[in-house]
Amino acid sequence: MATAVIMPRQGQSVESCIIGMWHKKVGERVAAGDDLFTYETDKAAFDETAKVDGELLAVFFAEGDDVPCLTNVCVIGEKGEDISAFVPSGVDAAADGTPVSGAENEVPVALPVAEARAEPVADVAGLSISPRAKTLARKSNADLRAVAPSGPKGRVIERDIRALVDSGRIATGAAGEDYAAGIVGTGVGGRVSVADVERSKNAPDLPDTYEEKHSHIRKLIAKSMNLSLSTMAQLTYNASFDATDILGFRARLKMARESGMGEQLGIALADAGITINDIILYAVSRVVRAHRVCNAHFHDDRMVYFNRVNLGMAVDTPRGLMVPTIFKADQLSLAEISAQAKSLAAECQKGTISPDKLKDGTFTVTNLGSLGIESFTPVINPPQTAILGVNCLTTAVRDINGTAVPFPAISLSLTCDHRAVDGAPAARFLKDLRAALENFSLLLTQ
Amino acid sequence: MTKQLHICPKEMRRPGYIEFGKIPVNQYKRTIEEEKANYGKDDFLRIYRDMRFIREFESMLYSIKTTNAYNGIEYNNPGPAHLSMGQEASSVGQAYLLTTEDFIFGSHRSHGEILAKGLSAIHKLSESELVAVMEGFLGGVAYKAVAEFHKGKGKSAKDIAIDFLIYGTLAEIFAKDTGFHRGLGGSMHAFFLPFGVYPNNAIVGGSADISVGAALYKKINRKNGIVICNIGDGSMACGPVWEGLMLAAMDQYNTLWEGDMQGGLPFLLNIMNNQYAMGGQTRGETMGYDFLARIGAGVNPEQMHAERVDGYSPLAVIEAMGRKLEILKAKRGPVLMDTLTYRYSGHSPSDADSYRTPEEKAAWQAEDSIVAYRNQLVAAGVASEDEFAALDECIVETVTNAVQMAVDPVISPRMNLNAEPRAIEDIMFSSQRIARMEGRTPDVLMPKEQNPRVQAIAKKERFAFDAGGKPVSKNKVYQYRDAIFEALLDKFYEDPTLIAYGEENRDWGGAFAVYRGLTEALPYHRLFNSPIAEGAIVGSAVGYAMCGGRVVVELMYCDFLGRAGDEVFNQLPKWQAMSAGILRLPVIVRVSVGSKYGAQHSQDWTSLCAQIPGLKVVFPATPYDAKGLMAAALNGGDPVIFFESQRLYDIGEQFHAGGVPAESYEVPIGEPDVKRIGKDITILTIGATLYRALEAAKILEEKHGLSAEVIDARSMVPFDYEKVIASVKKTGRIVLASDACDRGSYLNDLARNINDLCFDYLDAPAVVLGSRNWITPAFELEEHFFPQADWFIDIIHERIMPLPGYAPTRSFTDTELLRRARLGV
Repeated sequence: MATAVIMPRQGQSVESCIIGMWHKKVGERVAAGDDLFTYETDKAAFDETAKVDGELLAVFFAEGDDVPCLTNVCVIGEKGEDISAFVPSGVDAAADGTPVSGAENEVPVALPVAEARAEPVADVAGLSISPRAKTLARKSNADLRAVAPSGPKGRVIERDIRALVDSGRIATGAAGEDYAAGIVGTGVGGRVSVADVERSKNAPDLPDTYEEKHSHIRKLIAKSMNLSLSTMAQLTYNASFDATDILGFRARLKMARESGMGEQLGIALADAGITINDIILYAVSRVVRAHRVCNAHFHDDRMVYFNRVNLGMAVDTPRGLMVPTIFKADQLSLAEISAQAKSLAAECQKGTISPDKLKDGTFTVTNLGSLGIESFTPVINPPQTAILGVNCLTTAVRDINGTAVPFPAISLSLTCDHRAVDGAPAARFLKDLRAALENFSLLLTQ
Repeated sequence: MTKQLHICPKEMRRPGYIEFGKIPVNQYKRTIEEEKANYGKDDFLRIYRDMRFIREFESMLYSIKTTNAYNGIEYNNPGPAHLSMGQEASSVGQAYLLTTEDFIFGSHRSHGEILAKGLSAIHKLSESELVAVMEGFLGGVAYKAVAEFHKGKGKSAKDIAIDFLIYGTLAEIFAKDTGFHRGLGGSMHAFFLPFGVYPNNAIVGGSADISVGAALYKKINRKNGIVICNIGDGSMACGPVWEGLMLAAMDQYNTLWEGDMQGGLPFLLNIMNNQYAMGGQTRGETMGYDFLARIGAGVNPEQMHAERVDGYSPLAVIEAMGRKLEILKAKRGPVLMDTLTYRYSGHSPSDADSYRTPEEKAAWQAEDSIVAYRNQLVAAGVASEDEFAALDECIVETVTNAVQMAVDPVISPRMNLNAEPRAIEDIMFSSQRIARMEGRTPDVLMPKEQNPRVQAIAKKERFAFDAGGKPVSKNKVYQYRDAIFEALLDKFYEDPTLIAYGEENRDWGGAFAVYRGLTEALPYHRLFNSPIAEGAIVGSAVGYAMCGGRVVVELMYCDFLGRAGDEVFNQLPKWQAMSAGILRLPVIVRVSVGSKYGAQHSQDWTSLCAQIPGLKVVFPATPYDAKGLMAAALNGGDPVIFFESQRLYDIGEQFHAGGVPAESYEVPIGEPDVKRIGKDITILTIGATLYRALEAAKILEEKHGLSAEVIDARSMVPFDYEKVIASVKKTGRIVLASDACDRGSYLNDLARNINDLCFDYLDAPAVVLGSRNWITPAFELEEHFFPQADWFIDIIHERIMPLPGYAPTRSFTDTELLRRARLGV
């Protein structure tokens, strides 16, 4: 029995999702757990995996199509099964060239084709390319590895090669020669056969540049960042704190876990350990409550203050920056914050995070410390009023009674929107935060 | 359809009875003694000799077919042989009085008729005339072979001519290059024009309407002689035979044709009534006429002067022919003869006579015409047995010699298509330019410039747009129908043999007013209404042209092509090549492609014609091209199927700068024309689809930034690809479109060749856009059936280059293509 794969509903507010890329082609075998396709909301991208084993029998939407949630996207089953019952209404199963049996009563109409139907190809030898495009590619030394096919059925056509040439995607001299040597035809009348193209696989040098179309998420990031910097009055305050206490706390925690003290005390000590970032998130969740202008949304005519802290945390993913939210962080224990931060980060990495978890933050923490950054200017996630950047651990020196005493230090970069937060309140927030972190053990009593 | 004849209700409604006259049956009763007054000994013996020649010739073929040998000469003849042993008296009796100016047409069983007519002609022609004929025929090849073979035997030119006739016919049957038509006609299509032997025909009854056309040629061009159609009783149920009969018996020859043209056709339909239609017995089984001659009574008040003649008696047939010739020469034709006979062999040597008893055959053989005649002559003291025996010996020797020559691969080689690979190709079309078939002054009723249509056209604008670019109104613009008229009128005033006929051609001026004005210009015999008989319309045109005339006939709707199927597909295209290029067929069949009139009046069947080798096929879409292509067709020597479109008759010329020239000019058949220059995509159309392609080109330009080059095929066969190749090399993309249903459309042929010829230049495979494989629905639904401008955009988007942001409304996907194919729709 064939099984339809629907477009998941990623949160109540999501009506439809855009198909990013297909990982499987019609006719290919899929196993449960295999990635089928990526899809994107206006906030995030996700991978849909197969739930059953079988053959991908039909695909109803192409890359770039905006698919209503809960609509059948594809069908997995065994060869020859009737899939007509799964064809979404108003959709031609031919989007991928699969015949639909039993659907004679409806006149299938082709879907509109999005402008850039395909991503650049990796496998030049397997490329479907028109003779005219092939000839033009050879003459112009166009780098077929970067071509985005826009012809029927994924065929590379003349305009795709012209686009390559116009964007400078021309093979280097050496590669060009190789291409030429590789694609000179041995077929009838000098025509290039499949075998000829196969031989042309070993093009050596990479080109100087290459292009990729923006992913949906990249477009969103760009839009949001641009909005942030073009509409706000942002400035950044830097200050460092003594990390002796939090490092000591982590060391004690580690020791306690290893010695089984948690069991002895009847408490669960976090499995993977509490990170510096978890500690900073915890500290922020407690301190920011007292600095309401930093836990707020700025609108043109008013401020919205929050009685709870929904803490955004920036996560670096292969798809780009994502900011999931730890809701009501001020009500959570350190262990709970730590556990949520880990699972949210993992969901972002995998692309399975619900869009509902990617919104409604009241303050954001971004941490570049693990990458050795000592100071930077974080960009506020509008309409929030502030963002805290966490830098790397360094050794600083303090003058104690005329002696230079070294201590571990971490600097913080707080960007505030001056429209909402004046300099002194910002500095006061930073001051309180520093105090809380330098006396973290005491803070934990809250 | 003429105002000259008043249909009076009083007269038509008057009560009464139709009276029939007696139809004679086997009324010949003379004895040899009585006939001695009419025939000398030589004549009596020559009649015997000719019958005996036919018997020997057919027996020889029977022997070769059944034993692969004759008189010790071995040969295998895989080709057909429909033999006529038993029927000799019928053919010899018929030919006895005929001259070379009298033409006979035959069937698939006509060897005997050819030999009888040939022997009769040899007897009547002088030795020098015979030598001239033989030397002049196909370069004298057969004559030289015969003369060489018989060198030193002291034979007279007449004797050599007999050897030539037997040998030429046999070599043709054996498909030898020295045959009368280089072996390209064969047994069922043999003939020899110089002796007045016109083509036989492998299609049952196929000669019937063709020979009526030959009779029309004789009459209209004031040529001597009559035309005989020899077909079998088995053909009497065939539609084209009846159609031919009706055309031959039209009242108008007497009521409307004027002056010396008044009077009946010199046409004799002679049924070689051997009483079998293959295996079916016509009398008593497959027909209901009892006596075949009865049919004459149903055709016209003269009952076609029909009679049954005893075809077992040569003298009875001669006597009847004498009377019939007088009738025909007195312009009282047509005539029907039911010449009763019997064949001894089967339909062909392969049939086992399972449909008749040995007793029946024996009974007829007991009355064998040759034996009986010889016995009568011996009894009457005309000649002795010895004389007949000597004659027999001489005949066997002549036939044996002919067989020896014909089987010899050196004397009688086959056409060498290895050495001359283009030998057949070269004769498919005559490709001649013949301005006029004869030099005499054409019969016309007024000077051209006084013609009312000519005067009306003189006031029209010859280009569709005025100086300011505004369209000229339909009433003022020179139309497509004017263009065809003008080309035709010019030729009517140039070629005296040119005639035109079809349904509603006179008075009405054709259903689409192309011929308006011709009625004033031409006497009846050059422009007349035919019965509604598409088979006979085209078939008679074939016969008219075979004899040396030029003719334009019309099928009012393309959908009626089926009614003329045999004539358009089997007769018109074949005879130039089957005659080894001896026959020319300057026939133009105007075929009007309909619209608005549903499933049986709106079909584009151009592809059917393009598929048949031997036809030139054109389909002009503009007045300039219509006039130029009609002129080219009229100046040529080949059959042309001239498609017109009812969507186009009233359009003006939109492309040719300066409009349609008043003077005559030609558009070469086979050359497509670029109607719109572009660089991104080529659209090649056939016929009226051009205008929808131009609309599509406009949409492509305005909405999608693509510049389309639009090429009008103009001709389908022949077709010069050069301009199309150049265009596709430039654009890399092509859509081919016409109103023909896309399955089996000729466009697929063009597309395949373009894919082959331009493969390396193509950005996508050539795409064919045709009508749906449905019935043509009502006019109001036609936009769902015929390709429309937006279909072009849809198919380009789906199959050539997806257009950014475009949402097609019709599906041209692979899935849809496969689905339609699977369902056959």
